[in-house]
Amino acid sequence: MTQNSFKLFYILLVISTSAFCQIDNLKWQKADLSYENPNNFIPRNYSFESDDPVEFVTKSFTNAYWFFISDVDGDNCPFRPSCSAFFLEAAKETNILQASLMFFDRFTRDMNFAKGPYHYPRVRSGYFYDPPQNYTLNQGRINYLPPVFIVDDK
Amino acid sequence: MRVFLTILSLFSISILPQSITFDFHSPENIKKFADYLFCQGDYLRAVEEYESIKNINFNDTINFKIMLCYSEIGLYQMSNLSEVRLSNSVFKNEAECLSLKNRFKESSNSFYQLSEIQLYPFSTEDSFTLNYFNKLTSASFLLGSSELISEDEIINPFDGSETKTIASFYDMKTNPPYKSPALAGVLSAVIPGSGKMYVNEWGDGITALLATGLLAFLAYDNFRADHKTRAWIFTGLDAFFYAGNVYGSIAAAQIFNARINFEFSEGIKLFLEQENYFLPQYDFCN
Repeated sequence: MTQNSFKLFYILLVISTSAFCQIDNLKWQKADLSYENPNNFIPRNYSFESDDPVEFVTKSFTNAYWFFISDVDGDNCPFRPSCSAFFLEAAKETNILQASLMFFDRFTRDMNFAKGPYHYPRVRSGYFYDPPQNYTLNQGRINYLPPVFIVDDK
Repeated sequence: MRVFLTILSLFSISILPQSITFDFHSPENIKKFADYLFCQGDYLRAVEEYESIKNINFNDTINFKIMLCYSEIGLYQMSNLSEVRLSNSVFKNEAECLSLKNRFKESSNSFYQLSEIQLYPFSTEDSFTLNYFNKLTSASFLLGSSELISEDEIINPFDGSETKTIASFYDMKTNPPYKSPALAGVLSAVIPGSGKMYVNEWGDGITALLATGLLAFLAYDNFRADHKTRAWIFTGLDAFFYAGNVYGSIAAAQIFNARINFEFSEGIKLFLEQENYFLPQYDFCN
């Protein structure tokens, strides 16, 4: 009787162990990991959304720059927003003359090889975060962030 | 015999532990667990445990710990609710100070307004709390953008090394090392890039100097060679780079000043954190 009980116990143990164990296929199967660099490409918006003539002019310049230069040259601007997007946003924030001045200042800063990693805050994808709101000459609109700060891309 | 021993051991292992009654949920054991969580800094779970025994095992220490827990997890209004229950306890002063700290954390920049509207008419018996209130008011004046009160009024509530630090903050508040945006613009108008150098943007300044200098040379060289079209293109580009640099120098000075303000307020907040907002030291864990 006792022997039968032990046999039954062992059988149950063996069955339960083998039934609920982690099967080899699951344990050693291929992991779905991606080693690709994340794609940071921002889809271009070529549409003319506004009826404002100033915005029409700036958007035309920007579209031409994107089509003939930027898309051919590749994603080389170290800043976010990129220089062309900066110009567009600056024109929306201010006026076309001020936006042009802001753009040429940004372009000069872009040419600076000694920007260094500790000068601007960064977005998660690694680009320098440099919004036009900080350059409108309105002290109240400046949102200073230290260089160690990481900004969400969105 | 072997079979008997096996069965006996199996029975004892499986049955005996269950037969010993141990009430994990008795108020004493919940308090022990809550104390453990409190000392581990797990205030969110600790306060949940304390709240569950608050009505059974009422005492001032538990109430004060509840107040501390809520304060630590940023639920300042919940924390201040506990203050009422401690109004006649040994923790009266500590609870009042903690309540003031909570109010300060909620609106640090405008905390000083409480003193202006005399929300806290302290009696002479409350000198401990009054001094604490004055310390937070001083810190609030330094953080806020209002007109500063005199240096003596700011420094008076503090003693020892705190005085020196607060005095240095006061000096920085009254004489911040700002750069003049107008001067930066004028400097860049005279020598391109020098305004940027003035606000410590040396790389940008040198780049601006080289860019405007190079374009000016190209314009001049093309005019001299009678290549009018190219010369005017370079002139136009140079004019934009020059004007952009003057503009950028003014903006860079403003950003420099924003950085000074940011570092100043962060410095005060760090000092307050290091000093634990001047709260008295409690040792509930040793």
